[in-house]
Amino acid sequence: MLLPTTTLLLLTLAGVPVQAAPQAATPALPIALERRLAERLGARVGDTLAVGREAGAPEGRAVVTAIYEPAADPSVITRRDLHARFHLPDFTALLGAPDRVDRFGVGLAPGVPPDSAARELNRIAFGFQASPSAEIASESSQTFRVVSRFHDAIAIISVVASAIFLLCIMLLKVEERRRDAAVMRFTGIRRRTIFAALLLEAVLVAALGSAMGVGLALVAGAATNAYYQRFFDTTLIFSAVTPGILRFSVLLSLGLGLGAGALAAWRLVRTRPLVLWGRE
Amino acid sequence: MNPLRNLARHPVRTALALAGIAVTTAMLLDMVLLAGGIERSFAQLLLGRGYQVRVSPRGTLPFDTEATIPGARGIAATMRRDPAVEAVAPIVGSSIHARRGDSLVTLFGYGIDPAAQALYQVTAGADLAPGDSAGLLLSAPAARVLAAAIGDTVVLVSRLDPQMAVAGSSRTVVVRGVVRWLYDARDQASVGTLVPVMQELAAFRAEDRVSAFAVRVTGDADSAAARLRAALPSLEINSVGAMVLRFRERLTYFRQLSLILGTISLGVTVLLVGTLLTITVNERRGEIATLRAIGVARGTIVRAVMLEGGALTTLGGGLGVLLGLATAEQLDRILTSFPGLPAAISFFVPDARSLALAAAVLVITGIVAGAYPAWLAARAPIAETLRTEAT
Repeated sequence: MLLPTTTLLLLTLAGVPVQAAPQAATPALPIALERRLAERLGARVGDTLAVGREAGAPEGRAVVTAIYEPAADPSVITRRDLHARFHLPDFTALLGAPDRVDRFGVGLAPGVPPDSAARELNRIAFGFQASPSAEIASESSQTFRVVSRFHDAIAIISVVASAIFLLCIMLLKVEERRRDAAVMRFTGIRRRTIFAALLLEAVLVAALGSAMGVGLALVAGAATNAYYQRFFDTTLIFSAVTPGILRFSVLLSLGLGLGAGALAAWRLVRTRPLVLWGRE
Repeated sequence: MNPLRNLARHPVRTALALAGIAVTTAMLLDMVLLAGGIERSFAQLLLGRGYQVRVSPRGTLPFDTEATIPGARGIAATMRRDPAVEAVAPIVGSSIHARRGDSLVTLFGYGIDPAAQALYQVTAGADLAPGDSAGLLLSAPAARVLAAAIGDTVVLVSRLDPQMAVAGSSRTVVVRGVVRWLYDARDQASVGTLVPVMQELAAFRAEDRVSAFAVRVTGDADSAAARLRAALPSLEINSVGAMVLRFRERLTYFRQLSLILGTISLGVTVLLVGTLLTITVNERRGEIATLRAIGVARGTIVRAVMLEGGALTTLGGGLGVLLGLATAEQLDRILTSFPGLPAAISFFVPDARSLALAAAVLVITGIVAGAYPAWLAARAPIAETLRTEAT
């Protein structure tokens, strides 16, 4: 079934300037304003606005019948467009293009595959093109796929940098214990015990660092969301610290810490005690 | 106290530190390039043909919406009356179709005035002559999808009526040349005709509507734009500089991301260099105390430690610049695949100023990171340290 023509359409007001208007005798069109637009205009339900296609050339009046909060849409967030909704016939008449629409939403009977319905419509199409909603959604999400690939690439660089940093720090941390290791060797403590002690220390440092990192990530994520939600006046989530991300990060840092600690400890216990003490 | 010799004493840790600095430098460089790159690229694109002012329907940027400007000739005449205005280029943009056999190919159609145009460069064949209402310009992708070459005839149609299955407007034109449309996305099939032809196809003719104007002015573009705004208050008139500023607002995310990641990169570099030098200084306390004991000045010790930090950062930074340029190319390839983005836009634009800024910040960071270890080295008590080292 076709959606009825009285369905409210979401349309940008670019090119349809809206401004406060004095009362006039002609009947006013009902209009629903997005909250941000209502705030911008200082308009409330019941107010009358002048509307038209060109700036400074009002062609009709509209009375605000509703103020609504639009669904958060990441695809248009940076554009900061302001939206209003008219009844379809009112809007097409205002645009001077009666009975002309941009698109239809088509509801299919149960069991009819959207792909074959779109194919059938396209077979007879002239001047329009039918596409399954899934295909449109896939095309619309192309932008987010690009952003996601960019984030992945940045994440890889960050992980490599963090890994090298962690390796370097763990190596230095263990090497700092050269004299302690020498003393332990002089007092007869076995290499295996020293190795285990150094490894345990590396694991503890890595675990403590991971816990601090998790805390920092949660705080940074919350700050990011708070800032951008306020900046864009939206309820969208900008930073999501998921259990999967936490698991990956903690396991990576523990693994790297363990690996680096083991490598450094192994180098240390293989070195003769007098060399560690600095006397050879 | 040769910094390079000191670094060579511990090849594994030095190699790791250099690798760490190289990666963080690469990140820093990429973020510096990203922070200003797209704006520079956008400004270069807009100024590519020397038109410094854009005129669009009120509340919009050119081609941002389907809104159009009526009374184009009158508006152009008003603008030309300003003594600073050298040329006014009207632009019409509309979705049209071309017949290819029994099927229709959807194209983007530009209406241009070849005597004053800011949209294309001819790559093959000839430009349209003024008054050549039967001529057509094709982009290379349009030539491909239409299988058309210079001299071929193309039938353009528009305003398709689905109920009657007829085109409301049709025009037979001859391909004069192949052009590169400056604002086209990759593989965008676009064609161009004279303004009146495209107005007719797009049903803009009756009200003489255009999508936008590009204006070339002499002198200060901002002042000229302000004068034109005063003369035509119902239009959106911006200099390229003002448009770049508005464009910046839409790119807040990338600018802030680059600032945050750049800062983190610097922080990591400071930590890495600082930690390495602190441990190195601690290991060499005996050597440093001995040098002090035989009369080497504190300033010399401090300078040597800070130079070591500078050397480490310079070497790692050098590698990082190469790595950063390579990763910037890859990241740019990802971001320029944004749908609808003009093919000429780049996000990471290397320029001497960005490279110099990144290098200067990095070297200063390395030297500053060495300040604490240098301070530690300078204030170590000589006698106590020597006694401790001797036991």
